[in-house]
Amino acid sequence: MAAGGSGIFVSLLPIRSQEACVQLLCPSDMSLPYLILVTGKGGTGKSSVAAALALALSNRGKTVLADLDQRRTAAGLLGAEFDAPGHFPAIANLEVRSFTPRAELETFIERIVPIKVISRRMLRSHTFGYVTAALPGLEAFLMLERLRLLADEAAARNGFAVIDAPASGSAIELLSVPQGVRDLAPSGTLNRLARAVDDFLRDPRRFGVLVTARPEHLAIREASEALATLRDKLRIGYVAVVLNGVSDPLLSGSDCVKIHRLAAHRRLALQRQATCELAARAHRQFQETGVEVIELPMLYTAEFARPQIATLAGALDQLVQEE
Amino acid sequence: MSAALDLAARRLVICLGPGGVGKTTIGAALALEAALGGRTVDVMTIDPAPRLLDTLGLQIQPATPHDVPLTTLKPRGRGRLRALRLDPKRTFDRLIERYAPSSAARDAILGDRIYRGLSATLAGVAEYMAAEQLLDLRREGASDLIVLDTPPAHEAVDFLDAPRRMLELLSSRALALLGASREMARGPLGIFDFAARAVLAAFDRLTGLHLLSDVQAFVRSLEGMYAGFAERAAQVQALIREPATMMVLVATAEPQRIDQTREFVSSLNRLGLRPGALIINRVMPPLPGLQEIQHARLAAPLKRKLRRNLADFSALKAREGPWLERLHELTPEDVPMLMAEDLGREPDTLRDLVRIARSLRVAG
Repeated sequence: MAAGGSGIFVSLLPIRSQEACVQLLCPSDMSLPYLILVTGKGGTGKSSVAAALALALSNRGKTVLADLDQRRTAAGLLGAEFDAPGHFPAIANLEVRSFTPRAELETFIERIVPIKVISRRMLRSHTFGYVTAALPGLEAFLMLERLRLLADEAAARNGFAVIDAPASGSAIELLSVPQGVRDLAPSGTLNRLARAVDDFLRDPRRFGVLVTARPEHLAIREASEALATLRDKLRIGYVAVVLNGVSDPLLSGSDCVKIHRLAAHRRLALQRQATCELAARAHRQFQETGVEVIELPMLYTAEFARPQIATLAGALDQLVQEE
Repeated sequence: MSAALDLAARRLVICLGPGGVGKTTIGAALALEAALGGRTVDVMTIDPAPRLLDTLGLQIQPATPHDVPLTTLKPRGRGRLRALRLDPKRTFDRLIERYAPSSAARDAILGDRIYRGLSATLAGVAEYMAAEQLLDLRREGASDLIVLDTPPAHEAVDFLDAPRRMLELLSSRALALLGASREMARGPLGIFDFAARAVLAAFDRLTGLHLLSDVQAFVRSLEGMYAGFAERAAQVQALIREPATMMVLVATAEPQRIDQTREFVSSLNRLGLRPGALIINRVMPPLPGLQEIQHARLAAPLKRKLRRNLADFSALKAREGPWLERLHELTPEDVPMLMAEDLGREPDTLRDLVRIARSLRVAG
């Protein structure tokens, strides 16, 4: 894939390469995917990025911010209180939702067993839990079907959906399910369903994945591996990396030499310098493999809440405007 | 200085915690410190960072215990550290090989498409396999302390509960439902089981997958192995309850860890267990003073930059405060909360691990 394979994320960035310019001339590349899934290693800021992206997108259209674990971490960062799911009174155009594989399974079962008393009791029985666990990928498959519907809803009202997804390992497992189902069932209804979900995942207008990383070796490595799997193995149409927590260098190498007497301060300066260098190297490395990089600044603030998320949303928005 | 975490009477330390908090690092640091103190230690890691793998010499030999050379570190006793890496799939395969009633049954299971999917996806398989490998290590008896890192848990204490759930699955009516013999499954089938069977049949019809018949065949082939599984599961349950076993809960001072840690504590509680310690990983060490900058003979612009750098790091340090307080509040009263120093970078040498262990004041 050429540099700039994921067109829209090119548009989030200052344009650098010729190829990217050519890509941007193509009108289909001018819009963000309707549904964007945010994943990454634990502790790399998935929820912050999801919250900031949803906040930025809510300025352009009705946006759903959803999670798959019912923790509502991203929405919590925006300062939302949750007595009931649904609208965010404080933010126009932003709706919070929570999906779980379990709830999707329940919906499915209730559709098949319309007698509520039986379907409810059944769902509560341990037996049933094990049976569904033994059917590989059923819950995950139903979850992806839900995401497909969510993207369609977003498309219909010209809005967006942002998913605060589980860590990259689990997210890749989830996204691999259609492939697994297709291998298991080479033909028939399920194969057809799996193909529909696969088409959705590979359609850059409907689906995209943002992988978050921090300037740390392990996080960068995990992000590279995740990106390679998403793009080359799962053939996801839109993938990009968000390099989160990138600080300004502040002190130069020669500054660090001058302060050799202040050992503790020098250590802090060097620590900052090391993360800057690592971020720069990671940026280059991602670009060399043709992956778009979105950089978000390190916020040196004592609090990390709604105002900081708004700052990050502003940074994302600005990248869009620059384009 | 007295030890904050004394492992002398322990034979097994299990590190639990949500993904991304550094369970592997903490486990390796505890194991190394105990080995330097003279004990014979096995550290079993599940999902180690590549650099930590290098440090522990595990890059080449993944699944067999591997000696970590301690000579560069001035051990205080005649200790020894072995590291090994868990491979759930391989352990499951070995288990099938061990307990399958015949070689034909073994080959049937190992080649089964459901087994291949199941051994990777069934909730608790990785956890159960960690427990299996743990029992193997114990039986081998080459070490007097085992430090175990657990898989990143989706559901609080998956690892500790996995053997019981696996056993429950094997003795459950689910198996009868799926076609195993009634002797194997306990209890009669109720109306809801028949409803479940109807759903599965509907699913099969809908999908044209004939998955149900495959699941049934697989379950039947597992039948002969029940006794072996049950015995192992009971052993693991007994082992985690021994007084010489310590559960260490690992967290970080970040907002999303509060709820996760609270869930871990309460699900341990539900199992009748309590952590021996809560370790907060990557806590920033105290920062240097502003006076040092004021008094230094440096150009004013450089001083300004240094002041800003200090202010930036101070803000991050201040960010930790409330979360540490919240973690402290949810720690049971008689459980010590210990803080592991943030090195400002990822630990990648044995020396780094020693530094982390020292910040915890561990005694082997």
